[in-house]
Amino acid sequence: MERRGRGTNAPRRAALACGLGIWLALASAGVLAAQIPSDLARERTDYAGWLATAPTSPLAAVAQQPIGSALRLGPSDADIPLDGVAEHRITQRGGAVALEGNGARRAVPRGAPVRLGRYTLLADGPAGRAVLTVFGPTRADRRPAFYEYTPSLVFTGPLTPAEHAGTVRVLGVDGIEVEAAEAGSVLVPAPGGRVRLRVRRLPTGGGEESELEIYFRDGTNGHGSYPAGRFVALVPDGSGRYRLDFNRARNPFCAYSSAYPCPAPWPGNTIAAPVAAGERYAGGGLTLPAGPSAVP
Amino acid sequence: MKRLAWAAAAGLATLASPSPAGSWRAALDLAGGTLPFTLEIAGAAGSWKAQLCNGRVCQPLSDVRVRGDSIVLEIADYAASIAAVVRGDSLDGTYRNVGNRGPRVIRFRAARGRWPVTRAPATLVGRWDATFFSDFGSSPRVFEFRNGPQGLEGTMISNTGDYGHFAGTVRGDSFALAHFDGSFVYLLTGTVHGDTLRGVFHAGPRTETTWIALRSTGAPHLKRPTEITGADTTAPFRFAFPDLDGHLVTERDPRFEGKVVLVDIFGTWCPTCHDSAPALVRLYRKYHARGLEIVGLAYEVTGDTAADARQVRRYRDKFRIPFPLLLAGINDTEAAAATLPQLHGFTSFPTTVFLGRDGRVRRVHAGFYGPATGAQHERLIREFEGEIERLLAEPST
Repeated sequence: MERRGRGTNAPRRAALACGLGIWLALASAGVLAAQIPSDLARERTDYAGWLATAPTSPLAAVAQQPIGSALRLGPSDADIPLDGVAEHRITQRGGAVALEGNGARRAVPRGAPVRLGRYTLLADGPAGRAVLTVFGPTRADRRPAFYEYTPSLVFTGPLTPAEHAGTVRVLGVDGIEVEAAEAGSVLVPAPGGRVRLRVRRLPTGGGEESELEIYFRDGTNGHGSYPAGRFVALVPDGSGRYRLDFNRARNPFCAYSSAYPCPAPWPGNTIAAPVAAGERYAGGGLTLPAGPSAVP
Repeated sequence: MKRLAWAAAAGLATLASPSPAGSWRAALDLAGGTLPFTLEIAGAAGSWKAQLCNGRVCQPLSDVRVRGDSIVLEIADYAASIAAVVRGDSLDGTYRNVGNRGPRVIRFRAARGRWPVTRAPATLVGRWDATFFSDFGSSPRVFEFRNGPQGLEGTMISNTGDYGHFAGTVRGDSFALAHFDGSFVYLLTGTVHGDTLRGVFHAGPRTETTWIALRSTGAPHLKRPTEITGADTTAPFRFAFPDLDGHLVTERDPRFEGKVVLVDIFGTWCPTCHDSAPALVRLYRKYHARGLEIVGLAYEVTGDTAADARQVRRYRDKFRIPFPLLLAGINDTEAAAATLPQLHGFTSFPTTVFLGRDGRVRRVHAGFYGPATGAQHERLIREFEGEIERLLAEPST
């Protein structure tokens, strides 16, 4: 992948090789901090707004469990205790999820939130292996925080097809298992040599849409970014190449709420150097380094 | 005629500047290309109306709000909206709907006027057998391209139905066809290489699937719609669901006794079902007196009886459906299949189940070829009519 600085010509491959040792170090020191592009600023504002208002925001999550054949909800000894909610059961039979309680039974569509008292329930995941996430009436008062924008951490390049095509079950950003396809890999410049990162295509639920994702770890994990790793999308640029913008790296939902499980690291997807770009970790006892750039 | 009326209404509007009234060449910026569509906005303060058009096919938007230089176009069926700022002769903003993993947002732009009409050359018009290559494997599609009143148009068909009406443009050997209905964001781009087409299918803001298509020889490329879903034919087909007033309706209802029955498995959220509904109404009117009954089983979005019933009533009223519609469940194929255990391999909305006078399944037709498929649609209607005639001719038991 080649570096793609904003407002500059794409550097030649040879120049990249010697420049690469610099970009991460400079970015960490904030030397290359630049004005954030308007589209990225808008994305971050949208995301912060979604976190603050969406009924299924991870900031409102109180529990997430596989449904199996059934889960009890409500009483203090239930699988998921919910204040002020009489006993209910969420069941899964033959791929169909239903909510039973108060003498009634209603179907629960996967991927569509339903209300239960002050709570919101979301059943999602593959048929027969659906997972229930419960969202409460209040949400953590937290806004996502980001590293300064670093134009030198935007790359374009080819996607090398996977040697062995196939699918693998992985946890998505929301902690729910999906069947992902091995899409290939990208070669990313890094200090000490290039790093090959595995790319997987994750279904996004319904229709024909999916995302090319890279779940990666780097030197900032536990030192400013979330310890478990971060997701970043690989975006086609319309010319057969792809754009990888680490400024768009984002936390899995387990960074917002302990209700979610964290995805396991993807084999080989570790960049030893710090990638000081994208979303930081803004809670859970880790201290933010000085000068975080919060969403305006 | 309809378009003229809209234009006239736009011209009559007296508004503080800048007025959004008029035709707009709109576009969504996808990662791999630009998806064009047309917005028609008409009215005046407090009574704005708008419709979203893919070529000659338009659909009304549920609400339009204009405040100062801001405009919000609501697409209630899909909990989506377009919000933009009017700057002289341009609109700039975003299309968005709420997702469960973050907002789904796509940049929206528009300029006053209409997209130019371009006609497809003979080398592009016709039926094409396509193969899509994704990371999840390859799968067949069929393209139907033709020239309509507004130039290139057509559709794409999979094993389970068509993707709705696409409107297109042609430039040299390259072409692009788009379909945007407020939820589904589809753009098909390609180039002509003799009897081969190559290109990319764009779904949503950044999913791309490459494809190759060969001119159809007439041999079957897709599974036949009657080979997708099987059924238990040893016993009468059973169903028991509440109607829109909460009364339980089953296959034993006297109105179905000894009749040929079409069971329409549909959802108000499903664009192809909106194509099939008028055709079913026509069939009902044509054959009801001779013994045809139709019952619609609605699989809706929320699972909330009151909310789903409201949606289905709207659908019933929109298409003036004279036959009963029942609230059967939610729009999840596995969940729907669980409510109809006599069907095997249920995968698509709509699915039409043909029952003989003895109540047993005679045919299960998955999907529906809408009017956008042209000759396919005509052929399908003839097939449905032929099957109904055959079943009506069977003796009563």
